[in-house]
Amino acid sequence: MSKKLALLAAVATLACAAPVAAGNKLIPAGQRIAVAKSAMTVQPGAEWNKLSERPGRNAETWTQDGDELNDLSFYGGIESGRPLFREVDKKNKPLPKVSATMLITDIPVLLENSYRIARDASSMAIDTIAPIQFAGNKGVRFTYTFSKQNETLQRRGEARGAVIGGKLYLVTYEAPSLYYYDRSVAAARVVADSVRF
Amino acid sequence: MITLCRATLVALMLAVSAIAPAYAQEKTGLKPGFVLAPGTARIVLMRPSIRVGAQSTGGMYEPNADWTDQAKENIATALAKAQTGLGNSVVGYVEPVGAGSAKVAEYQELFGAVASSVIEYQFFKGNRLPTKKRKDQFEWGLGPDVRTLPGLEAADYALFITTEDHFGSTGRKVLQVFAAMARVPITAGVHKGFAGLVDLRTGELVWLNADMQMGGDVRDAEGADKRVRQLLEGFPGKPVEAPIAAAPAIASAH
Repeated sequence: MSKKLALLAAVATLACAAPVAAGNKLIPAGQRIAVAKSAMTVQPGAEWNKLSERPGRNAETWTQDGDELNDLSFYGGIESGRPLFREVDKKNKPLPKVSATMLITDIPVLLENSYRIARDASSMAIDTIAPIQFAGNKGVRFTYTFSKQNETLQRRGEARGAVIGGKLYLVTYEAPSLYYYDRSVAAARVVADSVRF
Repeated sequence: MITLCRATLVALMLAVSAIAPAYAQEKTGLKPGFVLAPGTARIVLMRPSIRVGAQSTGGMYEPNADWTDQAKENIATALAKAQTGLGNSVVGYVEPVGAGSAKVAEYQELFGAVASSVIEYQFFKGNRLPTKKRKDQFEWGLGPDVRTLPGLEAADYALFITTEDHFGSTGRKVLQVFAAMARVPITAGVHKGFAGLVDLRTGELVWLNADMQMGGDVRDAEGADKRVRQLLEGFPGKPVEAPIAAAPAIASAH
């Protein structure tokens, strides 16, 4: 009986999680636009598609060929005590949380630990870290590589972010190292360079 | 009890097939303007990527080495029979050793990722990317560097094949019954099959057959034959189907 209940519960969860009418939106080139339900704005130099599915509450993803092939994500002011993504398994594998007192060097660590849990990134390495100005604030730029569990496909990433007013703002771009990373990295950098508040 | 279960399953299948049209989607994509005349091209058949396992109640994949070995053998036999009837010279790829072999495996996975993206963001109309919606468009590829793989120097095209089967466990099938009652379509089992032809001069994907629910149980010879037939359905330049290949099933026509 309890098994049946568990199944029904699973079904109910699925029903709630069922996608709302999908609607990926065109992001035209040249227009300044607010991203990730936040005060952060960017101005793309090329066309992108905004996916209807968000990685987290204050986050959104843009892509040119699908999020597995090129993924430009924005995290707009993640508050202290909140994770980057929706929890996948809160009880057994809770996601690391943003802290208002984070140092800029804690940002790559937060991303790495979040990816290990939420994205099944079995091997992930932060390759370079450098201080930068992020929309006039003290920020960080870092690069990383990872592959997903059971895959040999290498993925490369580049991110920049800052903690501003106790909240985390982050822009990440990642794609398979083969072909796709180079294909969209210039367009992604134009977007990341254009961040303003 | 068993009869009851069967009846429920039948009812469920009917329910699922009734829902199906809402999820109907394209399964073949052809680069607009691409034609391949029989006897004009040298095609290299890359070693197929084959995975077989079980699907737990929660939908998790559990690999099964025995099934995978059986499937590899069956699909290789079926492909050997099929490749002579494709209208052009199709030769099996000679795997390089060492670093080259890792690169081949990575391209094989990149092909899988591209095919999945085509299914999700082009074939599935409800989720199509606005930039991929334009008329007469099928722009996907592995990049021009694919031609630098050792052993492809003399070839015009590379044929990539990926299959992945997760056979639903009993628990998964039961969950599917309850889910159908709640009008939630969940699948018991995954039977992915992708076949794609890549132009080695440009790295572009010129033809793709891809479906998440293909037929044929790859664990037996007959099933593998069926799967391979389905994978190569409408293959460009294939004599029997040449007239059909030019007809409406192309993604870009919509």
